[in-house]
Amino acid sequence: MAAERGVAADRPAREAAVVEPADESQPLLSEREAKQRRAFYARLFRKFVLLTLLCALTPLMGVGGIFYLKYYDFALAKMTTAFRQQVENHQKIITLFLQERQARLRLAADTHDLAELAQPGNLRHLLKVLNQEGHAFADLGVVDDLGRHVAYVGPYDLLDKNYAATFWFREVMAQGIYISDMFLGFRKEPHFIMAVARREGERKWILRATMDTEVFRSLVENVYIGATGEVYLLNQEGQFQTSPRSGGRIMGPAPLKVPPPFEGIRVETRREAEGDQAIVGLTWLKEPRWLLVVRQSHAEAFRDAGETLFASLVFLALCALAITLATLLLTTHMVRHIRRRDAESDHLNAQLLQTGKLAAIGELSAGVAHEINNPLGIILTERQIILDLLDSRPLADQELEAQLLDSLLQIDIQVHRCKRITKNLLRFARRTQPMIEEIKLEQLLGELVELMEREAKSSGIKFVVDFARDLPPIKTDPSQLQQVFLNLINNSIDAHEGLPGGSITLATRFHPERGGVEVKVADTGCGIAPEHLARIFDPFFTTKPVGKGTGLGLSICFSIIKRLGGEVDVQSKPGKGTTFTLFFPCHPPADLLELSPTTGSV
Amino acid sequence: MKNSKLLLVDDEEVFSSNMAKLLTSRGYRVATASGGEAALRQLIAAEFDVVVLDLKMPGMDGLATLREIKKRGLDTEILILTGHGEVDSALEATRLGAYDYLTKPCEVEELVAKIEGAWRKRNGARRDELLGRGEAAGPAPA
Repeated sequence: MAAERGVAADRPAREAAVVEPADESQPLLSEREAKQRRAFYARLFRKFVLLTLLCALTPLMGVGGIFYLKYYDFALAKMTTAFRQQVENHQKIITLFLQERQARLRLAADTHDLAELAQPGNLRHLLKVLNQEGHAFADLGVVDDLGRHVAYVGPYDLLDKNYAATFWFREVMAQGIYISDMFLGFRKEPHFIMAVARREGERKWILRATMDTEVFRSLVENVYIGATGEVYLLNQEGQFQTSPRSGGRIMGPAPLKVPPPFEGIRVETRREAEGDQAIVGLTWLKEPRWLLVVRQSHAEAFRDAGETLFASLVFLALCALAITLATLLLTTHMVRHIRRRDAESDHLNAQLLQTGKLAAIGELSAGVAHEINNPLGIILTERQIILDLLDSRPLADQELEAQLLDSLLQIDIQVHRCKRITKNLLRFARRTQPMIEEIKLEQLLGELVELMEREAKSSGIKFVVDFARDLPPIKTDPSQLQQVFLNLINNSIDAHEGLPGGSITLATRFHPERGGVEVKVADTGCGIAPEHLARIFDPFFTTKPVGKGTGLGLSICFSIIKRLGGEVDVQSKPGKGTTFTLFFPCHPPADLLELSPTTGSV
Repeated sequence: MKNSKLLLVDDEEVFSSNMAKLLTSRGYRVATASGGEAALRQLIAAEFDVVVLDLKMPGMDGLATLREIKKRGLDTEILILTGHGEVDSALEATRLGAYDYLTKPCEVEELVAKIEGAWRKRNGARRDELLGRGEAAGPAPA
């Protein structure tokens, strides 16, 4: 069997593989097709990633958004309730404080008459008694119905003052009770007074006390709600009645717009000057008409809720990130898988095409061979007739007879040459019927190596065998298998032409999962140019000089392997060598067994 | 065996007449037929020791002719001589009862050798028959 594999050592070195056609577009796909394929996979990747992300992230974002809004509402409601509670508590405390002071003062006024208090010492005694349980009043004065200061005890010299013209005097004379806003008064210091009027016969007199500002202010100002929370009081004009911690002078104007009096408690979020938000609770005291303000920075009030929300958002973001990563990974994997599948199916299609080509050529060959064999038969009978004639009637001219015999010999030689060609063609078309036997592959290969070693030795080629020990016997046609391996080995030897030496490796491996045996025939020869690689199994494809190769060897191998239910792959690197990987099942396909005849081969 | 009576069936008349000439000069009595029907007519008309049958013929082909011969119980040995293309058919023919097959082109001496074999088989069987030995009685003398 002639070797067909054509080779050219000066081809540019290039990775070529029939096995992975997707990576090397050349053997199976054109440049344009490969480009389209790549674009297709890129599109597939994008589509899948977008769709998956849309499907996965939309519900996540939806749940996240709903949670965010609901939780915010919930936190706000909770905060508002808590604030309302704070405002209510403080309102109670302040109101109680003032009511208690007012009650003490009223009691003092009701239990003493004017004359009694006008006497020196009595008022001092009364102030002492009033301040016995908690320091409440800074000074105490008695004012008659003309506004004159009848008696006074306290740190200032106010005895000769006349209050008839003052606002509070008129108020207390009219209402019977009065609590002032903070004012400077004669003493030039912010304070507020509480005054009660008592009717004694025809006359009215007033017991007036200056509240101990420090005690009252500490009661309001020393409230701590978080770091920014504060409580302060405003009068109806919007002046601070206590100094807020966040800054602001007592009696100074407050930045807060004072709403008209209302019942109950309001809690609202206000935007402040610096752009910060504050949560503010408001309520009006009844007496005096002061606005109680409880204020805390929005950021602080919502810190816990904010932290929870922030943690949720971080968690959501991490989830989204994880989903995105998983999607990318999965899609990459999936697209790679599809790509591999496509490559495999391309490969399979190529093989099918190859098989189809072989079948067509085979059919043609059978017809041609038959048509040629008939005339060849006639030529042989004609020759025999001439021989018979010469035999029965020898020619007188010996030289002529010798020449004729020579010609007849040549006819015989050429007819037999034709016969060999048609035989090869027919073997290709439909090889001699397979004879299925159970054989040991290593034995068959061993014999072949022994046979070929002698031929290879002169070219400096060594054989390396690497047979698996667990190789089971396989059912196949040994003579056809022999033909395949002989062909491959012959090609390998030819591939070393012009090289100082090299090696041919035969390796076997058992694949239990595939139910068969793999055989690798690897050489260190000149390799196959990539542009030829896809065509080496084509019938009549050869790169050898005319007359040296028929181009049938490898295509015969291919169809034998296919018929025996096997597979073949080739990898080659120009200048490095070629590896054929063959696979044979332990049991041949059923149709082969059916075909197996009882008679010998032709 | 010289003097055996042969029938060459081939649509290639040049081939059959050439072969007839060669076989006649080797001492056989040879008739030719150019197709299956003609061959059957001759076989019915006279007894032949060996029929050399081509497979691929127009009209009734070799296999059909073979089946017909067997069906009619015509007493003759059949040797298939055919182009290489019909090896499968040739194998089928041997299964149907043909003695053996040869592929064209072939040397006349090869054909002669096969004819001799066929003749011996036929005559061996006949002798067994004459001697009253059954098929199962033992190996036929070669």
